Parts: sequence; C-alpha cells; structure tokens
Amino acid sequence: MVATALANVFNPMCLALIWFGTVLGIIFGSVPGLSATMAVVLFLPLTFSMEATQGIALLVGLYMGGISGGLISAILLKIPGTPSSISTVFDGGPMAEKGEAGRALGVGILYSFIGSIIGIVALAFISPLLAKVCLLFGAADYFGVAVFSLTIIAALSGKDMLNGLIAGLIGLALSMVGMAPIDAQIRYTFGNYQLLSGFDITVLLIGVFAVTDIILAGFGRKTLAASFEKKKWDLKGYGISMKEFIQQIPNAIISSVIGIGIGILPGIGGSTAGLIAYTTEKSRSKHPEKFGTGIIDGVIASETANNAVIGGSLVPLLCMGIPGNTVAAVFLGGLLVHGISPGPLIFDKSGQYVYGIYFALLVSSIFMLVFERLGLPIFAKLLDIPKHILLPIIMVMCCVGAYSANSRVFDVKCVLFFALLGLFFKVFKIPSTPLIIGFILGSMFEENLRQALQAGHGSWLIFVQRPICLVFLIAAVVFCTLTVRKNLREKKAAEAAGQEFDTSEEEG
Amino acid sequence: MTNKVRDIICSVIMLAFGAMMVVLAQDIPHKVAKDVGSAYVPTFIGICILIVAAAKLILTLVNKKPAASQKIKFTQDALGGFGTIALMVVYMLIFEPVGFIVSSALYLFVQMILLSDNKNRNPILFAIIAVALPVAVDALFVFAIKMPLPVGILGF
Repeated sequence: MVATALANVFNPMCLALIWFGTVLGIIFGSVPGLSATMAVVLFLPLTFSMEATQGIALLVGLYMGGISGGLISAILLKIPGTPSSISTVFDGGPMAEKGEAGRALGVGILYSFIGSIIGIVALAFISPLLAKVCLLFGAADYFGVAVFSLTIIAALSGKDMLNGLIAGLIGLALSMVGMAPIDAQIRYTFGNYQLLSGFDITVLLIGVFAVTDIILAGFGRKTLAASFEKKKWDLKGYGISMKEFIQQIPNAIISSVIGIGIGILPGIGGSTAGLIAYTTEKSRSKHPEKFGTGIIDGVIASETANNAVIGGSLVPLLCMGIPGNTVAAVFLGGLLVHGISPGPLIFDKSGQYVYGIYFALLVSSIFMLVFERLGLPIFAKLLDIPKHILLPIIMVMCCVGAYSANSRVFDVKCVLFFALLGLFFKVFKIPSTPLIIGFILGSMFEENLRQALQAGHGSWLIFVQRPICLVFLIAAVVFCTLTVRKNLREKKAAEAAGQEFDTSEEEG
Repeated sequence: MTNKVRDIICSVIMLAFGAMMVVLAQDIPHKVAKDVGSAYVPTFIGICILIVAAAKLILTLVNKKPAASQKIKFTQDALGGFGTIALMVVYMLIFEPVGFIVSSALYLFVQMILLSDNKNRNPILFAIIAVALPVAVDALFVFAIKMPLPVGILGF
C-alpha cells in the first residue's frame, strides 16, 4: 500500500496538482476575505473527475497553502488572511513597522514548514494506533462517536450555545432529505425527484461558505474599495541565522506540540493554537516584555502552532470521521466524495489513500517552503487585486463547481438556497459550522442508532451496556458541561465589562 | 430592530420549522417491523428543534438586560446586498436557458459594475474580463475536463 501510495503521489500529474493546490491555497489564505475553507470548497468539484489520490492531493495542497498563506497579509497589512494567523499579527505587524517585514515573512514561512512537518509525523504515528482501538467498535459505539462528535457543536457555537444547537439540528434535518437508510423510505422531497438522493455536501459547502460571503460583500460594498497601507519588504534567505535557529528549537517544539494537541481536540481551531502557543512562549521567555514589539519568537510560536494543527486535526478525522474544525469538516466532505470513508478500517480499505495523504502533506509542505518564499513578490502583489473584480469571478466559479458536482442545474439553484440560508444565519447570529457538522454526521447518527436498536430489540439499554459507547456518551456529557460552564463564565465576564456578547465562530 | 426582536423572530421561525418537521414525519410509512422506522429520527430532531427554539424564546422574553433592547445598527448598503442577491437569482434562472457563457458574462459585468464605485469603475476592463473568463472556463471544461457546461438556446 505504501509503495502504491508513493507511486500515485510521486508522478508528474499528482505533483503538479499538489503544487497548483499549494500555490492557490497560499493566494486564498493571503487575500483577506478569502479563506482556506473557501479554497477547498471551490476546488472540490474540480476533483470529481480525478483519480482519488490526485483529487485528495489537490485538496491537501489547498488546505496546507491556505493555512500558511494567512501570514502574508498578517505581516504586510496587519490583517490576518485567515483566523489562524491572528497571533502572527502581534509581532509580525510591529516587525513590519520596524522595517523587518521581509524577515518576519521568511521566518513565518520557515516555521510554518517546521510546524507542518512535526504535525504530519505525529499524524503518521498516532493514527494507526487510534485506528486499531477503533476496530473494536460496533453500531452502538459508532452511535456514541456520532453523539460525541455532535458535541463539537457546543465548542463551535461561539458563545451562544442555543444558536449553535439550532444550526446543528438544522444540519441534521437537512441530512434527512431524500431516501432514508435501511428501508429507503422517501422523506421531505416534496415530490421533487432531484431530491431523492438528498442534498450534495459540495453544494451545501459552496452555498454556505463561499456565496454567502459574496452577498455580505455586496452589503458592505462601500468598504470594498478601502485600500490598506501595505508595508514594503526585503528578504534574503529566510531571514534567520543558524544561531537564532538553534535558540528557537525549544519554541518550535513546544508550539508544535500545542498545535498537534489543539488539532486533535474537537472544536478548537488554528487561531486558538496560535494564541496558546504565543502566550506559552511569552510566559516561558526571559524577555516577555519584548513580545508585541516585533520579535521573531512570537511569529515562530504562532506560525509553528497553526500549521501543526493540520496534522493533529487529521488524526480524529481519519480514524473516527470526526472533523475537528471547519476546514477539516470540508476536507471530510472531500474524502467522502471520493468514496473514502474515514473510520478505523480506513487503513485496510483505503490504506493507499491514507498514505497518499501523508505523502501529499509532506510534498505540499516542501512546496510551501520553496514556492511561498520564491513567489512572495507575486503573492504580495496579489493583495492589490480589487475585490469588486475578484468576488464576481469567484461566484461564477461557485456555480461551475456546483454544476459539475452532478452535472445538473438543480444544484446551482440549491447553492443560492444555501447561500440565503447562510445569510439568514449571519443575520440571526447563528454560527454556520455546526450546520456542516450536523449535516455530515446526520447519516452516521441515524444509521447506527437504528442498527443498534435493532440489535438490542428496541431497548435503549444497549447504549449503556457497551463500554465503548458508554465512554463516548460520558465524554459527550462532560465535554458539553465544560463548554457550557466556560461559555457562561465568559458571557458573565463580557457582560460585566459592558461588551456585546459575540456569537461568531472561527471559520478556516 | 432590537436584539430581542431579532431573537424572537428567529425562535418563532425555528418553532415553525420544527413543527413542520414533526408533522411531515408522521406521513413516513413504517415498513420494517424490527426497525424503529424512518420517521423516528426526523421526529426526534423536530422535537429537539422545538425544545431549543422554545428555550430560546423563553430566555429572550425574560431577558431584561439593557443589551437585549439595544437597537441593531444597520450601516450596510441595502442596494449592494439586495442587488447582489437579485443578480444571483437572475443568473441562476438564465444559467440553463441562455447557457453558461452568455449568462456568466452578463452576470460578471453587471456584478462588477454594482460592486465598484465611481473611482474604480472601468467598464471596458469589466467587459473584457466578463467575456474572457467564461470562454476560458468553458474551454477548460469542454476540452480538458470533458464535462460540457450548459449551452442554452444560442448553442454556445
């Protein structure tokens, strides 16, 4: 399987796709308003006609490039291109103001690479072990996993749990449309035969994440043309000496471990990893007062951690089908589209694709290191592309993507429906990521619940009699309780400070 | 509109949605005797939506904090937003009958005009992009990906 994966990835076509994906991902990550999520969503339909490894390789490149690209605008514009790069602004911005923008960019790229590699190594070691444990699972246990996964919604709900629950439940409801599992009963199609197979995940993703943002740009068109002051930069090599590199080894290792851990935990994204790594490095440092004034330590902590999240987030995704964050949820959609079902058997059933993902991640990291550095002048120039031209082009690509999902115009119309649903969510401050989690987990939840109840002759006791299921159900309750308590504490603190309570969630 | 009114509207819409789900689930036939049936989970989800929406409505109604009665400021550009939605609706409606190239060219041109302001409006550049992009994408799909996009009544 390893040899097949090697042969599949290391061929000119696949390497070209990884390169293309990485470069495009960097562009999407670097331009504020575009995101890694949007990049993966937009190019997902283009992978349909590709061989699975090639399609996944393109998505891997987009994911990797998208997360890393955010540092370019974080440093040059002081606007994080993606939420993952929020903490890069803290020191990257001041470095740029001191005339060290080039050095900040070089260090950011180098440590994005180092974080990615450490994350991939962790993924390769942890995933097979976790998969072996998961082989013991039955239908009731998978129901437990689904329930636990649905509790991610609690963490992704921003600070308003009820709104998050509403989004997750609507996602579950949308997954009920079409033919039911087990007895193939037709549900909620309203006589429309196009809905027999249910809604397509790609169409849902394009509508909610890409087209909704274009509509919002229309509402904010007066600020679209606002130009930001872009800092000048100059860079030789990666802007770091060997002495500094050796000094920063502990920072890189600790930040990577934080990134991997945060990635594995459900519902926490790259921005949190960056912030925790930044704070940890600051408290560990001999000169904490210098953080925020423009030193490489802060940039290194943030960029190493947010890229290590990629490897970490793929561990629960591959072994149990649990998407830990928004981009991972979209990536899971990509795997399903190519017939790769994440779960403990993934190493037996789709081993060549899993190893293909590992190799694609490695290649993509190297491409990112080389081409993000070489292409810096071009990527910096791309920040000048006017949004009033870029966004309509993206809309056309969204329609093409939706059409190519099943070669039917019905899906193009569904994109608009989901975009309006996304807009409804924005207006009513409902987070949209739980909608995707609910939609993806809907069939797993229902199928395993019904199979387990059949096996248990209709008795719900089967879910507490199976130790694995019981552990997941208890974990779900504990996780939910802790999240609710944390949210309530933050809500009280925000209200005490007289601030408005924000319910928005992190997206790619 | 205040935050309170917004949350009440949201709760009422969700109550209606949950109720519709539960009512429609009752028409789903039960075929396999040993199975709980295909109506089981949709009914459960519908009831959950009803419970969550009712909880949200009650919490909103009893909320006496000043933030609840704070007015939501609408600083957005309604013409830009609703114009974009209207353009998208027209684009999707003409996508099949007129074909991908013509519908996309029209959409791109008008959308770029709508999103631009007096300073950066450049109709000639917009027209070139509006024609070149759909032609290039169509060529990519027809010749490289081998998946033709809708051609419409004009035959291209």
